[in-house]
Amino acid sequence: MSTTSGFRPIRVLVTKIGLDGHDRGSRIVAAYLRDAGMEVIYTPPWQTVAGVVKLATEEDVEVIGISSLATDHLIVPKMMTALRAAGLDHVRVIVGGIVPDEEKTALIEAGVSNVFGPGAARDEIVACVTSLGQDARHARINEFLEANP
Amino acid sequence: MTHTAIQLPLPGFEQAQGEWRADYSKQMAGEQPVRNRSGIEVQPLYSPRDWSSERYLDDLGFPGQFPYTRGVYPSMHRGRTWTQRQLIGLGTPADYNKRVLRIIDAGANAISLLPCCSGFRGIDCDEVDPELLGTCGTVVNTTDHMDDALAGVPLGKISTAMNDPSPFTLLAFTLGVARRRGVDWSQVTGTSNQSDYISHFIANHQFYRLSLPGSRRMLLDHIEFCRRHVPNWNPVSVVGQHMQQAGATPAETMGFTLSTAIQYAEDCIARGMDIDDVLRRFTFFFDISISFFEEVAKFRAGRRIWARIARDRLGAKDPACWRFKFHGQTSGVDLTQQQPLNNIARVSVQAMAGILSGLQSLHTDAYDEAIACPSEETARVAVATQNILREEARLCDVIDPLGGSYYVERLTDQMEAEIEAVIAKIDAAGGMYKAAEAGLVQTMIGDSALAFQEQVESGDRKIIGVNCYQVDQDLTVPPAERPDPDAMNRHVERFKAFKQERSQEAVARALDALARAANSKDENVFEKVVDATEAGVTHGEIVSSLRRELGFGHPLIVA
Amino acid sequence: MAGARIAPSLSERVRAGDSRAVARGITIMEDGGPLASALHAAILPSTGRALTIGFTGPPGAGKSTLVDAFVAALRKSGRTVAVAAVDPSSPLSGGAVLGDRIRMGRHTEDEGVFIRSIASRGHLGGLTESIHHIVDLFDASGRDVVVIETVGAGQSEVEVVDVADIRVVVNAPGLGDDVQAIKAGILEIASILVVNKADLPLAARTVRQLRAMLSLRRDGEKDVPVLETVASTGQGVAELLAAVLALGASAPGDRQARRRARIRRLVAESAATLMRRRTMARRDPALLDLLAQIEAGLISLDEAVAAVISEGTKMPDRISDQTQVAESTHEPAV
Repeated sequence: MSTTSGFRPIRVLVTKIGLDGHDRGSRIVAAYLRDAGMEVIYTPPWQTVAGVVKLATEEDVEVIGISSLATDHLIVPKMMTALRAAGLDHVRVIVGGIVPDEEKTALIEAGVSNVFGPGAARDEIVACVTSLGQDARHARINEFLEANP
Repeated sequence: MTHTAIQLPLPGFEQAQGEWRADYSKQMAGEQPVRNRSGIEVQPLYSPRDWSSERYLDDLGFPGQFPYTRGVYPSMHRGRTWTQRQLIGLGTPADYNKRVLRIIDAGANAISLLPCCSGFRGIDCDEVDPELLGTCGTVVNTTDHMDDALAGVPLGKISTAMNDPSPFTLLAFTLGVARRRGVDWSQVTGTSNQSDYISHFIANHQFYRLSLPGSRRMLLDHIEFCRRHVPNWNPVSVVGQHMQQAGATPAETMGFTLSTAIQYAEDCIARGMDIDDVLRRFTFFFDISISFFEEVAKFRAGRRIWARIARDRLGAKDPACWRFKFHGQTSGVDLTQQQPLNNIARVSVQAMAGILSGLQSLHTDAYDEAIACPSEETARVAVATQNILREEARLCDVIDPLGGSYYVERLTDQMEAEIEAVIAKIDAAGGMYKAAEAGLVQTMIGDSALAFQEQVESGDRKIIGVNCYQVDQDLTVPPAERPDPDAMNRHVERFKAFKQERSQEAVARALDALARAANSKDENVFEKVVDATEAGVTHGEIVSSLRRELGFGHPLIVA
Repeated sequence: MAGARIAPSLSERVRAGDSRAVARGITIMEDGGPLASALHAAILPSTGRALTIGFTGPPGAGKSTLVDAFVAALRKSGRTVAVAAVDPSSPLSGGAVLGDRIRMGRHTEDEGVFIRSIASRGHLGGLTESIHHIVDLFDASGRDVVVIETVGAGQSEVEVVDVADIRVVVNAPGLGDDVQAIKAGILEIASILVVNKADLPLAARTVRQLRAMLSLRRDGEKDVPVLETVASTGQGVAELLAAVLALGASAPGDRQARRRARIRRLVAESAATLMRRRTMARRDPALLDLLAQIEAGLISLDEAVAAVISEGTKMPDRISDQTQVAESTHEPAV
């Protein structure tokens, strides 16, 4: 709360892409991350790939959490490509929900940091997002800065 | 309704009970209270002081008799077992057709159709990321598609359940197919089992298409149309499932669902419909969790409360209106990704709770439901589970076999009190429509979901393989069945060609009539939906026109 | 990067309206400190063009939905918009679920709308400490209009007066004791009063009550428009936009005057913050003596304040947070 403090909460975008609208999981994860001291930007479901890129840009988040309970993870690889194209390659992405093994591999290959299945524990999720948030911040900490002469 | 304990004269009872209590306490020093999911404290033992049969006729009655606590029909499952209605849908209409014909060959007399998620969102197949098309439901956008999906299915003999939210295009397509085949609409039977727009607004946002006032109008038009032209169709299914899946407790779920039914019934009365004509066609649709006795008590209490509401509050005179008929689906929320075969045991217990509660129709989840869209093999196990419970365990031999258990009856009374408290809360908020509009219900559900999850996290609520009895194994999720991309691509191309080739003039005329009906006070909008599908107007075109005229459906999301 | 400074490219890209630069700029402003000061100094010459509009009011009045509809109306009029939507941080964890986007979903993909969800991070008054800097950044990025939505926690949201040219105070019928909810303080700051959810039965009564309260005020403060809206259907939103634009056109002077007024407010605000921090941290005998004299009734509060300001300006430039926390919890010995 101090203007001189270097600390700030990790910012996380919790959203859903594609067609499904079930939000029990994303609401609970949002509450977990809030209770762990993070700032969670919570959106309506049915975001498009372009929409997620714009959200992540404007909100300057370190981590994106995509909840996929049906088959919407199938367009996550497209989203990863679009994030990179927009210069957001420092942003870490996790997917939570129901993802078959071979499609999980495809997600990791596309650059997703982690995939959480149903029943993932709070501590596991919070620890992962914390660590990814720090990685992301570190990766871009000097953007728009330069050394003092 | 509160029940005063009746003190039967039982010489020596109090002394014996006192001795047992003392012995019990010695063994169980420091025991913490045990509560069910609805928050009711569960005692270690129940006895004639918790429930006695002196109020039998008032509170239970015989099956088929008011207040129907023991069942809505005199012979229940002994006469006619529940309908086995497995929800299916995948790929193109041809893919669906192959599977549905196999189900009918295996003896099913009821089918269901789950459309592609893009259909739920109100868009046609040419507007969707191709990766997603048909991955969790069938792509049905026109009457032709429905004709393909139902090829060889004897409409008029088979009951069809349509997962078909407002504005009910799937029913319109089905009626078109019936007309093509010369099947009279009065022969068409089944249920619009996703007609409950309030439940979508609250808890299943994917299905929510039109604004609240628009959906309200559409449902009433749909009910009126069906009563007039499709008399054996059930236009209303009040859905508790979405809310329990979103985290409402079983008692909250039953309370919200009955409040929703009250809202729809009162809307019909306000529209000038005959309540006796309408209410007999109301059906209900619930989740069955693994909290076995609680679910049994939920359904028994729900039947009793509905009978009294229908007769006394809504003024229905025909006993057919007092009967609480419900479809149950075993709860996917209870299933785990860890050790997935364990889910077969869970589904068996859930199904048993539903059957012993006297349900009318049942869907059992496949054991891989928590990890994938079910494959044909796992769906077969789900159906077999029902057959085993009926034929081998012989659960149909006795009607309401748990009735008269001190525990079950006491719990039924307590659940009834909890459910009535929820209904009173909704009444105080001005009814279910207003309570949903204000976000009250969403907040209650969110709080319950979080409270449940915290019990799981703390280990107070055990889930085998998740927070106890874990085994050291890699979580493997079997390959999912995905539609053939080439076949889907051809389906989309044919659809595009169809749109080019149909009579554009007829389409324009039908869309114009639809918009005019939506803006008039007295025309029936659903009638124009049916006309539009006959003119070749597609699902997406109908939904987008009505979104324009009646308002886009933005669900109220409470973070 | 210790001893880092802001790269000139940042303010250039902000001025060019580059979203990534604006977003990162806001993060730097939120972090505060010398980088924020430097960035603010760099962009300040480019500010003063945007019209700034604050939306405040009690919870349940429908602020988010109204802001959503208002933004839609602004877009229809061809203006570009930035929205700073402030939600409270949890006092326990410091985290927050920022849900304003839920009601503003239709603007997500519109390049003409930039939305930033902001946590209050413990700041009271309905906004966040860095809000002035953030609004200036939006202004410098070339947006026509900057909309600020406050926390909506009740009656302490008068701070928006310092940051917004035009203050829209939103109320709705049936929120507890009707206009009581916005009576204390917040009514006084309104440029426009809105009764949202005007399709509810008690709306007319709420409008009457607000007009009656306005009529008791001094001439010149009575002319606050009272408008009715139904944000969920868009009813009355065009009228609200017209009223806002009319006020914007007649707001004190031109771009230069508005910019000066905002800089003045900013200086006042920052000076107050600085003096507060320094006074709380001071342990020197002169201050302790001054406090004792006030307590004994030997000098007036005004005299003491004059003395504190005169001495406070000579204090060292920055005092570490640690000192501040350690010493401010300690009662002055008298």
